[in-house]
This record gives sequence, C-alpha cells and structure tokens, in this order.
Amino acid sequence: MVQINLPKNSQVQKGKYFKDKTGSKNLRKINVYRWDPSTGENPRIDTYEVDMDNCPSKVLDILNKIKNEIDPTVAYRRSCAHGVCGSCAMNMGGKNGLACTTPHAEISGDIDIYPLPHLRVKKDLIGDLDGLYRQYQSIEPWLKSNSKSDKTEIIQSKKDRKKLDGAYECIMCACCSTSCPSYWWNGDKYLGPAVLLQAYRWIVDSRDDERESRLKKVADELKLYRCHTILNCTSACPKGLNPAKAIAEIKKMLATVNL
Amino acid sequence: MENKTPLSPHIQIYKWHISSLVSISHRITGIINIIAITFICLLASALIFGESNYEFINLFLSSFLGKFIMLGITWSFSFQILSEIRHLIMDFGYGFELKTTKITGLIVIFGSIVLTISFYLIGKNFF
Repeated sequence: MVQINLPKNSQVQKGKYFKDKTGSKNLRKINVYRWDPSTGENPRIDTYEVDMDNCPSKVLDILNKIKNEIDPTVAYRRSCAHGVCGSCAMNMGGKNGLACTTPHAEISGDIDIYPLPHLRVKKDLIGDLDGLYRQYQSIEPWLKSNSKSDKTEIIQSKKDRKKLDGAYECIMCACCSTSCPSYWWNGDKYLGPAVLLQAYRWIVDSRDDERESRLKKVADELKLYRCHTILNCTSACPKGLNPAKAIAEIKKMLATVNL
Repeated sequence: MENKTPLSPHIQIYKWHISSLVSISHRITGIINIIAITFICLLASALIFGESNYEFINLFLSSFLGKFIMLGITWSFSFQILSEIRHLIMDFGYGFELKTTKITGLIVIFGSIVLTISFYLIGKNFF
C-alpha cells in the first residue's frame, strides 16, 4: 500500500559532522546515510568535508576517500569499480545509479548519498535485496529447451540475436526497481522493472521453447500491470537500458498473442 | 529483528522527473475528472426542476469561484486527454527513449495550458 511517510524507526536524524583536517580550499560537503544495527538508534545523516583536490572523479572515489581517510566505519558495497558488477548501486543526488560510474561533477551542491530507496537497510548504504532476488528466481531465468541433443549448439539467426540487445546487458544492480514508485508501494507483488526486463529477455530468446508459459506466468494484474509508465526505471539505469520499453513489449505481446 | 531494520528513504529523497510528474498528474486529474463529470451531471439534472435552478447555476458559474472551478476542470480535462494520447502511443511501443519521453511530457504540460487558454478564449468569442 501507498505509505508516504517513513515508519517511526526509519526517520532520519541529524548525525555527526566531520570537519576537514587537510586544510584544503576545495572542499565539498558529503551527506551520507548511516545506520548501525548494533545500536537501537534511528538512522542519521553524517556530513563529511572532503578535499576535492585530491579526489578522483566518481562518487565511489569520494566514499573510498571517506572510508580510508576520515571515517573507516562507513559501510557500502563495492567491487569492480567499472560499472560491471552492480554492487555499488545507491541513491546519489536524488537519483539511483552506480557510484563507480556517476561523476560527482554532475551533482550540484552538497552530495546526498542514500541507500537504494524503499529497502530494508542492513547497514549504512547497504540495502536488503533478498526480495528482488527471490522474484528474479520466480521467473526462472535460465534456458528451457526441448532440444534433445546436448552435443550441438542451438543455432540462432543474427536477427533473433539482435532481439536480446538491450536486455542481456542488465547487471541486476536494482537501480531501476528501487527507483519505481509502483515497486515501492507493491514491491511484494509487482515484479519490478529489473525482473520484468529479465523476463522479457527469456521470452524473446529464440532458443527458448517455453515462451507461452513464460508469458502466461507474468500475465498478472499485480506482477506486470502495476507498471504505469512512470519511467523512473529508464532514467535510472546506469547501463542505458530501457526496462519500461521491455515491459511495454510484454504487454503488447500479451495483447496480440493468443495464449 | 525485522521490525528493527529501518526502511530506506524513498519518495522523500527521489528527484522528480518530467515523466514521473506527468504520470502522477495523470492520476490526479483522472480523479478530478470523475468528480467533475458527476458535478456537471448534477448541474444539468438540476435544470429539469425549473427556472430558479437555472438562475442559481448561472449566477454560480459567472461568479469568480464558478469561473475558477470551470477553468480548473478545463485544464484537468485537457491534461488528461493529452496524457492519454501519450499513453496510447506508448502502448504501441513507441516513445520510450529518454529524450522522447521528456519532450512528450513537456508537450503534455504546456499543451494542457495552451488548450485551457484557447478554450477560455473560444468561450469569450475571441476567435
């Protein structure tokens, strides 16, 4: 259900202020969402003054700098730092993205860094994505082929292969799903853009023989049709993919194909 | 444990985009339109019960409040129709590129204002 206000234990409070110690003139204020599960306290916003003269260009570099030089207690996920693994997905300057591919120069003013929206927080910038992974599992994201032979490859034409472009590149970083207001209000039932894009990826795969049953599975008032083309997903996707269009294509298929 | 973990902020911090703004306005104007149609039907059916009703309605509609409400309804209908056309095009699978959604969103917002003004001027026999 739509719940605009945060629950009482989630209301964000003012936190600590870390003053710059380097004496740099080029400072920037970074507001970071903090929550420590070991204390019973509410989440808070800590502010760090960061010396931008000695900081590389991406938001993840700022976080690394804070963790290495100012406050080692900040927790966040990161791994590849090249926009490939999808670990460092978070909300920066009011928009979801990967910290490792988002230049801090693109954000004006103080930089606000939050975890991905409307998730249960595990610690600081780490949100709980279990629900999303369970939904991903529910669409059975693997090839289901009736082909008897396991010794030869299943041939795919160039045209059929092209259909997968814009769908297979998804790294499941959850930027899109957690940007979607529909997913905020109905995340337990609505599959969300990330999972629906993957559903689409298997529906259009010419090598897959379970197209109809896959379509039938997502043809549900709540699972699919909670998409109201708000398009936050497409504008959030750090890989430049278009989940909204994929969902529209699934809807179109359901409207035209006789199941 | 489950109750103790906080929910990360969502609508409080997420930046508004043109597409999300148009989407929520589409819903709000939809609700306004349902109320407006009921309201207009009630006014129309009140006319059946005699001239005094007509005079009262006439007085109401030519008052500032009446004019404001009617203009508001005109905008709400204009917005809804333009936005609905946008949705229809999207249902055919077109117009999902980020730039296109921005442009069509702006067309809906400004188009609705232009339509409202032109309806007002048509009512004033301006053309």
